[in-house]
Amino acid sequence: MCAVLAAEVAGAVLAQYWPILLFMAVAAGLGMALLTIGLVVAPRRPAAQKLSPYECGFEAFEDARMKFDVRYYLIAILFIIFDLEIAFLFPWAVVFDRIGLVALIEMVLFIALLVVGFIYIWKKGALEWE
Amino acid sequence: MTIQLLAFYFFAFFAVLGALLVITLRNPVHAVLSLVLTFFSVACIWMLMQAEFLALVLIVVYVGAVMVLFLFVVMMLDIKVAAAREGFIRHLPVGIGVALIMLAEMVTLIGLRAMQVAPPPNPAAMHGESNVAWIGTALYTQYLLPFEVAAMILTVGIVAAVALTLRHRVGVRHQNASQQVAAVARDRVRLVSMPAERGDPGAQP
Amino acid sequence: MLAQLLLVLWTLAKVLAITLPLVIAVAMFVYWERKVIGWMHVRMGPNQVGPLGLLQAFADVVKLLIKEIVVPTNANRFLFFLAPMLALVPALAAWAVIPFSDGLVLSNINAGVLYLLAMTSMGVYGIILAGWASNSRYALLGAMRSAAQMVSYELAMGLALVCVLVLAGSLNLSRIVEAQGGGLLHWFWLPLLPMAVIYFVSGTAETNRAPFDVAEGESEIVAGFHVEYSGSAFALFFLAEYANMILVAFLASILFFGGWLSPFPSTWGPIGQGSFFWLLTKAFLLAFLFLWFRASFPRYRYDQIMRLGWKVFIPIALVWVLVAGLLKYFHIVTPGA
Repeated sequence: MCAVLAAEVAGAVLAQYWPILLFMAVAAGLGMALLTIGLVVAPRRPAAQKLSPYECGFEAFEDARMKFDVRYYLIAILFIIFDLEIAFLFPWAVVFDRIGLVALIEMVLFIALLVVGFIYIWKKGALEWE
Repeated sequence: MTIQLLAFYFFAFFAVLGALLVITLRNPVHAVLSLVLTFFSVACIWMLMQAEFLALVLIVVYVGAVMVLFLFVVMMLDIKVAAAREGFIRHLPVGIGVALIMLAEMVTLIGLRAMQVAPPPNPAAMHGESNVAWIGTALYTQYLLPFEVAAMILTVGIVAAVALTLRHRVGVRHQNASQQVAAVARDRVRLVSMPAERGDPGAQP
Repeated sequence: MLAQLLLVLWTLAKVLAITLPLVIAVAMFVYWERKVIGWMHVRMGPNQVGPLGLLQAFADVVKLLIKEIVVPTNANRFLFFLAPMLALVPALAAWAVIPFSDGLVLSNINAGVLYLLAMTSMGVYGIILAGWASNSRYALLGAMRSAAQMVSYELAMGLALVCVLVLAGSLNLSRIVEAQGGGLLHWFWLPLLPMAVIYFVSGTAETNRAPFDVAEGESEIVAGFHVEYSGSAFALFFLAEYANMILVAFLASILFFGGWLSPFPSTWGPIGQGSFFWLLTKAFLLAFLFLWFRASFPRYRYDQIMRLGWKVFIPIALVWVLVAGLLKYFHIVTPGA
């Protein structure tokens, strides 16, 4: 009985996700269609100057891919960490009501730890964009 | 159920294909994108197992954050394509060995028997709850300590990331916003009250 | 089998019923943007094509479609065409979970907000890849700036979402709207006012709109990550950006302004009832803010953008998560009152 119910609910959970898959397919189809129209209908007259990358008047003399400031990596790493914290906050927010005080206290602890890290990066000047 | 099975094979195919492409493609950016494909397919497979929360978090954290970092790194480090290629055949036996050991570990951990019995019913669905609520309840009642330990680890991660990557350049000027906001006219301009100068009317023609 | 096929076709019809109006809405919104900014600049805006210039947007679409797609010599062709697709698909797919009215939603998933976060976080790929694949300095600079900016503001946005979730107690967007029932003062904008502001401003930064549009800053890096794009490939980016803007406006209405709920008491007859009309009105007003911002504010400098995101929004949002927890714990805000 319980298993049947579970299967039904499970089916219901998945049933909500099939339209999303279809939606992505439609979106991809739309994008593809637009690109195809562009490639088929539009003229194609390549010329050396036209195809060169945009520059301010001088020739593009080398590969434009360059090394970037390490700051960008730092931002990306910090983003991963904070993103994880937010991922933890989501289920907490949902069940907060039924767990009550314990949930509040543990999240205060959790955020306090996070804030310690945050103050550290702030004081270190990692958030200063130069 | 057949559609679910078909979908499973569909996503599994792309997960494996992506994984293979990661190690065979020459262009590192393409390789990272293949890894994204793998993660996305795996997320879809988890979704088929009704692990809503984990599937979406896999996308948010791995596809949306970790792989972006990978992409940053790979794009900017200008890895020489040929050099990266060289060790491929030489390291292949080692790689296969590691993969086999990991497979053996996983099989012993999960057990071969688990493959032969039907999967247990979804506990969240049995209680008529959403997957997220169920995970939340478990995480914030039974697994309190691991949760706070995770917070510690993340904090250590923050400190480590900053310590490893932060370099200060010299001679860069910052904008100090609090200083700007705190500025008041009194400190900048001195208003002096003085009588108007009266020139001698007779001196000028 | 036939029943399943019918179901698929029916779902397809529903998907198209969202996508096509959305694409038309984007076209009309572009027209509206040009008109509004024109008026704010004391100009006419487009007024030549069709009555009042209404057909201008469609003329632009046709023009974009029949223009040549120039692929730069050193570009990576595969990624060059993949990038606009990766920008467009998440931008459109996010619409699958938007509840347009009571029960009127394509997929009523339990983890709706999480799904939206997942889709927004995938949008960054299109931009980074566009910059890298074009192999042009300006494009790459724009892409890197844009990517770092998007991830920074995504954090503030995520924390703002958490506050809403604490009060609503659900990730399901329809339930979040229902939790705001009871009139204007029960909508979440009141207890979460700073979060509503942070959410909307982050949404502006997330979609790279003025005043946070350093990614395209015409005066410094010409057009940012899509400088090398033309024709229909550019049209995809354009569509994605505007679809995202309208999405942010809809989401802000749903999360903070009661979605389809009416601001008037239900005893007031038809205007007291919740309907799609209300959602549309709220979203339209919020979307108008995007245009107003663009006409009014000068562009932020990049370090100022990063400071606003990391040093202002994230601390405030962190504090407000706890405030929301307290509000909920002491039953100051009760859902569905």
